[in-house]
Amino acid sequence: MVSKETCRNEIRAAIRQLSDRCLYSAAKWAGEQLVGIEQDPSNFTPANTRFQRGSSSIRRRFSTNESISTPQPSIGFSHAVTPLPEEDEVIDGDLYLLAKSYFDCREYRRASHVLRDQMSKKSVFLRCYALYLAGEKRKEEEMIEIEGPLGKSDAVNRELVPLERELSALKSSGAIDSFGLYLYGVVLKEKGNESLARASLVESVNNYPWNWSAWSELQSLCTSIEILNSLNLSNHWMKEFFLANAYQELRMHVESLEKYEYLQGIFSFSNYIQAQTAKAQYSLREFDQVEIMFEDLLRNDPYRVEDMDLYSNVLYAKEACAALSYLAHKVFLTDKYRPESCCIIGNYYSLKGQHEKAVMYFRRALKLNKKYLSAWTLMGHEYVEMKNTPAAIDAYRRAVDINPCDYRAWYGLGQAYEMMGMPFYALHYFRKSIFFLPNDSRLWIAMAKCYQTEQLCMLEEAIKCYKRAVSCTDTEGIALNQLAKLHQKLGRNEEAAYYFEKDLERMDAEGLEGPNMFEALVFLATHFKTHKKFEEAEVYCTRLLDYSGPEKEKAKSLLRGIRMAQTGFPSMDVEHFPL
Amino acid sequence: MAGLTRTAGAFAVTPHKISVCILLQLYSPSAQMSLPFLFSSVSQHNRLGLYLLSLTKSCDDIYEPKLEELINQLRELGEDMDAWLTDHLTNKFSSLASPDDLLNFFSDMRGILGSLDSGVVQDDQIILDSNSSFGMFVRRCILAFNLLSFEGVCHLFSSIEVYLKEAHSSSDQYDVANNNSESLTQYNQMDLENYAMDKAIEEIQLQKNAGSVPFHLHTPEALFKVTEGLLVTRKEKSRTSKKNTEATPASYASSSTHEDTLVDESLFLRTNLQIQGFLMEQADAIETHGSSFSSSSIESFLEQLRNLAPELHRVHFLRYLNKLHSDDYFAALDNLLRYFDYSAGTEGFDLAPPSTCCSMYGGYEVALLCLGMMHFRFGHPNLALEVLTEAVRVSQQLSNDTCLAYTLAAMSNLLSEMGIASTTSVLGSSYTPVTSTASSLSVQQRVYILLKESRRRADSLKLRRLVASNHLAMAKFELMHVQRPLLSFGPKASTRHKTCPVSVCKEIRLGAHLISDFSSESSTMTIDGSLSSAWLKDLQKPWGPAVLSQNSGSRKSSTFFQLCDHLVSVPGSVTQLIGASYLLRATSWELYGSAPMARMNTLVYATLFGDSSSSSDAELAYLKLIQHLALYKGYQDAFAALKIAEEKFLTISKSKILLLKLQLLHEHALHRGNLKLAQRMCNELGGLASTTMGVDIELKVEASLREARTLLAAKQYSQAANVAHSLFCTCHKFNLQIEKASVLLVLADIHKKSGNAVLGLPYALASISFCQSFNLDLLKASATLTLAELWLGLGSNHAKRALDLLHGAFPMILGHGGLELRARAYIFEANCYLSDPSFSVSTDSDTVLDSLRQASDELQALEYHELAAEALYLMAMVYDKLGQLDEREEAAALFKKHIIALENPQDVEPNIA
Repeated sequence: MVSKETCRNEIRAAIRQLSDRCLYSAAKWAGEQLVGIEQDPSNFTPANTRFQRGSSSIRRRFSTNESISTPQPSIGFSHAVTPLPEEDEVIDGDLYLLAKSYFDCREYRRASHVLRDQMSKKSVFLRCYALYLAGEKRKEEEMIEIEGPLGKSDAVNRELVPLERELSALKSSGAIDSFGLYLYGVVLKEKGNESLARASLVESVNNYPWNWSAWSELQSLCTSIEILNSLNLSNHWMKEFFLANAYQELRMHVESLEKYEYLQGIFSFSNYIQAQTAKAQYSLREFDQVEIMFEDLLRNDPYRVEDMDLYSNVLYAKEACAALSYLAHKVFLTDKYRPESCCIIGNYYSLKGQHEKAVMYFRRALKLNKKYLSAWTLMGHEYVEMKNTPAAIDAYRRAVDINPCDYRAWYGLGQAYEMMGMPFYALHYFRKSIFFLPNDSRLWIAMAKCYQTEQLCMLEEAIKCYKRAVSCTDTEGIALNQLAKLHQKLGRNEEAAYYFEKDLERMDAEGLEGPNMFEALVFLATHFKTHKKFEEAEVYCTRLLDYSGPEKEKAKSLLRGIRMAQTGFPSMDVEHFPL
Repeated sequence: MAGLTRTAGAFAVTPHKISVCILLQLYSPSAQMSLPFLFSSVSQHNRLGLYLLSLTKSCDDIYEPKLEELINQLRELGEDMDAWLTDHLTNKFSSLASPDDLLNFFSDMRGILGSLDSGVVQDDQIILDSNSSFGMFVRRCILAFNLLSFEGVCHLFSSIEVYLKEAHSSSDQYDVANNNSESLTQYNQMDLENYAMDKAIEEIQLQKNAGSVPFHLHTPEALFKVTEGLLVTRKEKSRTSKKNTEATPASYASSSTHEDTLVDESLFLRTNLQIQGFLMEQADAIETHGSSFSSSSIESFLEQLRNLAPELHRVHFLRYLNKLHSDDYFAALDNLLRYFDYSAGTEGFDLAPPSTCCSMYGGYEVALLCLGMMHFRFGHPNLALEVLTEAVRVSQQLSNDTCLAYTLAAMSNLLSEMGIASTTSVLGSSYTPVTSTASSLSVQQRVYILLKESRRRADSLKLRRLVASNHLAMAKFELMHVQRPLLSFGPKASTRHKTCPVSVCKEIRLGAHLISDFSSESSTMTIDGSLSSAWLKDLQKPWGPAVLSQNSGSRKSSTFFQLCDHLVSVPGSVTQLIGASYLLRATSWELYGSAPMARMNTLVYATLFGDSSSSSDAELAYLKLIQHLALYKGYQDAFAALKIAEEKFLTISKSKILLLKLQLLHEHALHRGNLKLAQRMCNELGGLASTTMGVDIELKVEASLREARTLLAAKQYSQAANVAHSLFCTCHKFNLQIEKASVLLVLADIHKKSGNAVLGLPYALASISFCQSFNLDLLKASATLTLAELWLGLGSNHAKRALDLLHGAFPMILGHGGLELRARAYIFEANCYLSDPSFSVSTDSDTVLDSLRQASDELQALEYHELAAEALYLMAMVYDKLGQLDEREEAAALFKKHIIALENPQDVEPNIA
């Protein structure tokens, strides 16, 4: 276990180094973690306490107490202490200062031009980085300029080739620092050379672990657990952040949560960790918990826009209109041109049933970020609501093409095709979605319904699907009921009775009533009566008697029949065996 | 969809077009002089004019020549002026130093246009009339340039730089993917009906959104151009309102990430239509070249294209086709679904106007149709049937009759191909017109109904190609199935249990009428694009010192034909259908037993349609010809021909050629008495078939038929009989009537060889009656021969009757029979005479000897040792009787040779095994 103090010192130095190299988002991330560490009592200032006030409420509610008060036991490996690199020039050259200020004003080409003859590693990095960003900027402009009828996107960053050449030369001569390696990795990734990019990034983070940007790039290159495990990463507490994030992206939510919990031992006030935990919990469908976490987060960091789309999803799922509108208003005022903000507003309109407007905002989100996965999926949902199935299918398909593991979009595709009366075609998509999330009963039920449609009428397959749904703990209790009914339909009364009983148990446990219950009771009573199990039959009949309506009459007549049979039965005995 | 139409006619300024403009500037005369100064003669001037004309006409092609190529072409064009031309061209280009120069250049271009209203053109003066095609071209260029934004001009400018740079660093040649490889006939393996169906699908789309871009698939170029024409006119109308939609050129060349392979550096990303057209060509190429087409190269190209133009969804379809042909099920499925997911294959949902309500549900039923055919192709008939049933339902729901017609055709095709045991009710529950009667019908009857239904719809919708392919399918159906009234009641019913050759012939003819339909409207088919690019090719060929006027005379007839072809411009799919009809003719003649007719039809096919055919058809034609060779000329020739065919077609698993090879080897081994080899070949043949029930049924039947014959040759009669019996049951189950006849014949043979002539008789008779009802004349002759042999086997007192029977069948046997059959007949005839007690050898020896000599000669070619030995033995005996000792010794020696060869079959292995 690293001590909080070392962490703090490392991060402090790292922030300085990162922002010195204009790696601002990494610096921002590091800064967030820095204040996330429990306060150093030595420099206790009122400002600090104000910042941290209230942020522990979530821990009070959901975290185990010892994780805060007592230091977490070490997870079994010692963290290698990576020495902080020494600056190769203690005092920045004048030119570097000029270049950096140009860079800060977003005049990238000027910045790189100023540094054209500087040979120090730091200058080389900044020059290359500025060039890279200049190329990116030009690329985006060009993308709009040459946007033709086909939505052409052949604009490329023209600096990539010279950059790659230069950086690889630097690398082979050994005159490259970890920042240069990071940039090299990014360039290689853009050029599509993933394995080399991965190697370069791994080298970079092993030398200098505090660069979160490098970690995130590396994470985006880990598309499977095999790749992740094959990485040769030296131990450092930053690696834990990386792993937690990577696990989450690989849909290993539980493992991810474990990591975050561990990290919270040090960074107990980190908003980042809290948001990520909320994300993982969201995937586990713990909506109540997630809502509380986000409320807490917003209280500490009221102008946060990141991850707030997730919060809006939760609010949407809980149909909390007012809260959602409040959130939407807030992010709108903070920064309306963020894809997340647009998404939140879209969600709000969707909840209000104004689907056209919702689509408009999702579109805006997509304008801002074409690869914004959830916006595509949500837009698909909207189109489904608007009964514009082709558009919905298109939107879902785009989501799937961006990330083929997005089970929601696959599910949406299946639904859309089913809506169009093509259940057989839809099955393929349901299968796909189940492949990525095999433990979700809703998906199984959807597939079963598809098999059940009158066009297909493949009841055996439907039964298999429902069984899977039951084994995945179907919360809505559709599966049991359907299983019972299907078996009843197929004339397998024993199985039907079994499932009706189970369904009844479930309803009893949840204290539910309704037509399903009547149905189950009536079936069970008749079933047991025909099978001469009068006691059981009577039990169900008496339960039915508690309700009014036609079922009551039915129960009465059933009871009468039972009495008759019961009284008749012994007399027959007597006849057969006269004493 | 709307996105397409909106930008369909987009015309982009590219460096190549600027070159053409520069040349036009030179070509156009100044007002006073009748001839621009640099031309020494009028003919020279004309030549340049013609060349430019072809350039302007082909300006919509996907590939534009690089500057270097252009210069090369110019060099070929004119002897003395070329240097000047190229100099001028390069100078002009290098004088374009800034975007402003471009602006000036285009305003200069305006100067060479005659004014619109001048109207009067002096006869001897060549002026660039602004309504001429040159004028139009220049005007389009100017307009397109004027519409460019400043950024656009900058992009054009930088692409010109690249264009020039490339010319200087004389880069490597690229070959336009498939232009010249066409002659190297490499084909695919899609079978005839599939093909027809595929062809057909695009017609659906054509009909449905008439005026919009055709669907996908293998739309023949010419047809495509038609729609293009439509589009352009529509575009022209709408242009007034939408001036800002011109496509901007973007050079790939500058995008240095795409350095690799297929895509040439100087290739400019074109207008939507051009790319679509290009993709269409690629699709055709994939089709005709099939699995031999290098799928990875096209894949990498498609990947690039997808990156460049993510909205161009047809790429996915092409990838699907590619994967389909390289037998990659998962990738094919994935791409197919993706293509249809993207706005049902109608491209670009962003721009879909709400007004076109008919396209609301797009082509999802077409998606089902495609999916069904894909499953069929990958050998999942039940899945395919499910999907097609759904397709029927959906197209009924959406009242898409066209799709329904195609789906029904596909379904009937599927049903007739896959051989479902007759009783299972495979057809889903939904299709009412069929199901109302379907429950009681056999598969064959269902196929018949489906075909009829499909044809009716196709007829009313004027889907000519579908009608034609339906006719062919019907002909095939009639060929194979006994016609029986669908509902048979009463005493009059089911009197005619016969196939009807006349109706087969009728159907084939009706199918072939298609070509007349198309040639009659050829005028609409010739649209600039395809013609002009052909022109360009043709013009380049004979060009040289020869004077232009002589060209047409000196041109070889083949080029002439080519040109005619282009002029008439019958779509490729149509020629393929016609070709298919010839193949079907050949097949039917084969069945009916006329070898010469079959051969002739096949030859017609191979010579006339060989180039345009899909690979499977071509393969089939080769197969037929080689089989013919084997039967009538012996194995030596057949194997030689097979070698050639193998070079032509890639021998991949399950290809027809591989099948043929195994068949030939089996026959050969049987004849030479190498039973082990025969058995092995037989097993391999059986191994090619899929293990799924009902799939590859013909192959399975053939394998077990051959097995029975091998066992028969090995004298294991009871086993052979067992195999044949179970085979007969299979044939009965799957309703394979024709195969039944030959199985019965084999059974008769088995009994004959095992010495139970009495038991063999009923089989032979049954076989004959089958042959009669199916009009299988040659098979009937062969069955008659067997019958006669059986009679003779009952004793020599039946020799007369046997001989009568044989003589009855002789005309057929001698006229159409293969070597083996003829030899057998000859030997048998001799046998009959010899066993006839009233026949005396000494007086009538020639009758016998002639037959035997014929037989032994023919068997020599066939290397059929067993029969040859028999013939020679008989010959020797006759000679012995006649006392001709020398001849006797000669025959005996030959006899010995054959017997030795028969006993040591491994001695001389054929070198092709």
